[in-house]
Amino acid sequence: MEKKGAKRKVVLQLLEEHGGMRPGVARKVSEETGVPEADVYGVASFYTLLSRPGAKTRVCQGLTCVMAGAEQVIAELKARGEEVEAVSCLGQCDRAPAAIDAKLELIPGAPSGGITPSHDALAIDLAGEDDPSYAAFDKARDEGPDWIIEQLKTSGLQGRGGAGFPAHIKWHAVRTQAELTRYVVVNADEGEPGTFKDREIMLRRPHRMIEGMAIAAWVAGAAKAFIYVRGEFRDCIRALEAAIAEAGERLDWLDIEIVEGHGAYICGEETALLEAIEGKRGMPRLKPPYPTEKGLWGKPTLMNNVETLACVPEILSRGGEWFKALGKTEAGSKLYCISGHVGRPGIYELPLGVSLDELVEAAGGYVGTPKAFSPGGASSGFLPMDLRGEPLDFGGLAKLGSMLGSAGVVVLNDTVDMAVAARWQQIFFEDESCGQCAPCRIGCRVQRQAIDKFLDARAPESLGHVEEVAWEMDAGSICGLGMVASLPLQSAMKYFGEEFDHE
Amino acid sequence: MSDNDIKLEIDGREVEVPAGSTVLDAARKLDIEIPTLCMDDRVDPAGCCRMCLVEVEGQRRLHPSCAYPAAEGQKVATHNDRIDRHRKGLLSLYKADHELDQHGRPVSRGVHNRLADYLDTYGTGPALTPVDAPRVARSESLETNPYIQFDPESCVVCGLCVRYCDEVEAVSAISLVGRGSGTTIGTADQRSLLDTSCELCGGCIAVCPTGAMTEKPSVTRLPQLQPPKAPTSKVRTTCNFCGVGCQLDLHTEGDQVVRVTSPKPGTTLNDGNLCVKGRFSYEFIHHDERLTQPLVRGEDGQLHPTTWEVAIQRVADGLRQVEARHGTDALGFVSSSRCTGEENYLMQKLSRAAFGTNNCHQCAAT
Repeated sequence: MEKKGAKRKVVLQLLEEHGGMRPGVARKVSEETGVPEADVYGVASFYTLLSRPGAKTRVCQGLTCVMAGAEQVIAELKARGEEVEAVSCLGQCDRAPAAIDAKLELIPGAPSGGITPSHDALAIDLAGEDDPSYAAFDKARDEGPDWIIEQLKTSGLQGRGGAGFPAHIKWHAVRTQAELTRYVVVNADEGEPGTFKDREIMLRRPHRMIEGMAIAAWVAGAAKAFIYVRGEFRDCIRALEAAIAEAGERLDWLDIEIVEGHGAYICGEETALLEAIEGKRGMPRLKPPYPTEKGLWGKPTLMNNVETLACVPEILSRGGEWFKALGKTEAGSKLYCISGHVGRPGIYELPLGVSLDELVEAAGGYVGTPKAFSPGGASSGFLPMDLRGEPLDFGGLAKLGSMLGSAGVVVLNDTVDMAVAARWQQIFFEDESCGQCAPCRIGCRVQRQAIDKFLDARAPESLGHVEEVAWEMDAGSICGLGMVASLPLQSAMKYFGEEFDHE
Repeated sequence: MSDNDIKLEIDGREVEVPAGSTVLDAARKLDIEIPTLCMDDRVDPAGCCRMCLVEVEGQRRLHPSCAYPAAEGQKVATHNDRIDRHRKGLLSLYKADHELDQHGRPVSRGVHNRLADYLDTYGTGPALTPVDAPRVARSESLETNPYIQFDPESCVVCGLCVRYCDEVEAVSAISLVGRGSGTTIGTADQRSLLDTSCELCGGCIAVCPTGAMTEKPSVTRLPQLQPPKAPTSKVRTTCNFCGVGCQLDLHTEGDQVVRVTSPKPGTTLNDGNLCVKGRFSYEFIHHDERLTQPLVRGEDGQLHPTTWEVAIQRVADGLRQVEARHGTDALGFVSSSRCTGEENYLMQKLSRAAFGTNNCHQCAAT
């Protein structure tokens, strides 16, 4: 029950300004906003950058970074007497092992990874020159919203955030709502371990994404757009601010606000993200109603991922058919992030539906003897190398019980113990479960303890309930995190059973 | 039946409910039992305890019946193999996150224990080892309030107490605190409830499904801690702390009142709610110095028991003497906020009509 006049929206920002969850801060923020003190404290305790504040080095403990020696980095920093914290994936897998400093700035280490050289048959074209002319927007405005939605439909564009939901359906759904106040939200809370493509779009092609966002806002009839960027992406926030300034009066009609995240993977889930913008704990909402109908502050909200929106200008400039033909098994070109045991980790824009072998060829080949791969981040689990020829697309991987997700591909060679790899992913999910519903809150901990116990004693019986608990997490959880959170352990056990058998 | 009515089918039985109803509302109309933990009609449904999940035809996932809108032509199943497996699996997880007694039953310090009841009714799936969740709760020694205690180890984190405190009482003294398996119920900076906006109404105790929020044993005798010393019963009465007329259930052991609760929500005008006085201030009932009969001061300067007739006559004589000596306006009539509306009316009638002065007041009228 919101108090009249309470300024809840600024709660997170004020908590950050006052130094996070320290004694007295909740009271201060409560006095400044009118939001109850306990409520403010509860919000602060949810976000890691606020609940564990402090000037310290944060080292990524995502799977790719661990494989590249993150644990040694932490040990060395501690030996030097530095304050250091192991944190969930920082979205810098191409620079593994990655770390950020006290001001959340990336600590210079390995340079960013490879990208596909610019050529004509690319929808995003990371290496191309970013174009601030907004010509695609002008064309879209002249042709009208029905034409735009028709082109999106023809193009077969699927949401690039993970679910692969056809973009035109969302756009159409928001457009046809009776309520006239509508919002557009860009989901730039990239946090799936193994994924770092949105980061590079914002750094290299910010105008392309902003133009896509402007077109979305115009079609949706929204006067206000939010870009929710994870707080650890300082350079992305600067790049977006610079691009918005450069676009100048061309975007005067649209009120654009960049909202910074405060350390919670779950806020990449669309309804949790809405809660975070509203200044609440980032706990996913029940669906229905969907955000297209009741989103931000209960108003129809069109939310798309950075990459999805960045595809839009080229689709409208060159036509839906052109985009569709770029794909192999499904429509369009796709940014594949690849990291782990490959020659040149990075982001490669390839036809949607290439195989792992084709992707790795672009990324400089395998390093060592490959053993397993994750096609779409931690949420997609592990697959064995005999599936290396399968198309990496939304439909095909779903049939294999995995998912393309955000296309954060991680390759593991035979130096990796699959039980240890699975454990790191289970640690990630336990750390990032929001805690709202019991199947995920308790289940993530049960699965993590099961693999811990197995590794302690190599006792297979400690894994006896993994399948049944996974079933319940999938059936009973509110959101997608709980549904897939057992997949790393389940798939490792399924495909690499011999590593879990021995006493 | 109005035009708004929706016809749907639950477990093969047809039912009509008004527009805006949930699947749970419709199931209740058919007396179909669906287990719930985080649900109370006085707050918006959260759908987070996951106990009430049902199968809606055409929907891939199970949905919480407490929040899922009933719709025309809908077909709902509240029990089948999938739902049964879900309930057992979920209860296994709750059990692994709960303090258990030596028989492996969830512990409750309160008078009800819905988790244990559901375990009895629906059974469990896999026998999991306790997860030892990393909850950081308030220190019991810092919690100096006299009435309310919280045990995080018998809490299912349904958040109903938090939503009740916010949505019904508009107090918001407590919140969900932490994240993931460490989530628990806390206050700002984990202070004692006395140092928060808490009004100690104890509504959090009343709504808690598992007895994690309870009365402190210093004020209330909780039956599972101390076996009753005398036959117990429950007596319905009207609270006499103010004129609202809240209904109370006095729980007695022999002739001792040991606990006070409200009748169920939706049955009396207080709708399940009480304030700090109604719920906790009943020690006076058995207090040594409580007045139980009229007393009149004698020539010796001491108070002596007497009858109501004598006492009232004595008051009347005194008032008439003052009136005769100093005039009517030398009198003033003050009544108490513990009186009913009718009693307050009679008091001003006595003042204005019987004595003829407007010097009347009521202590809550400032």
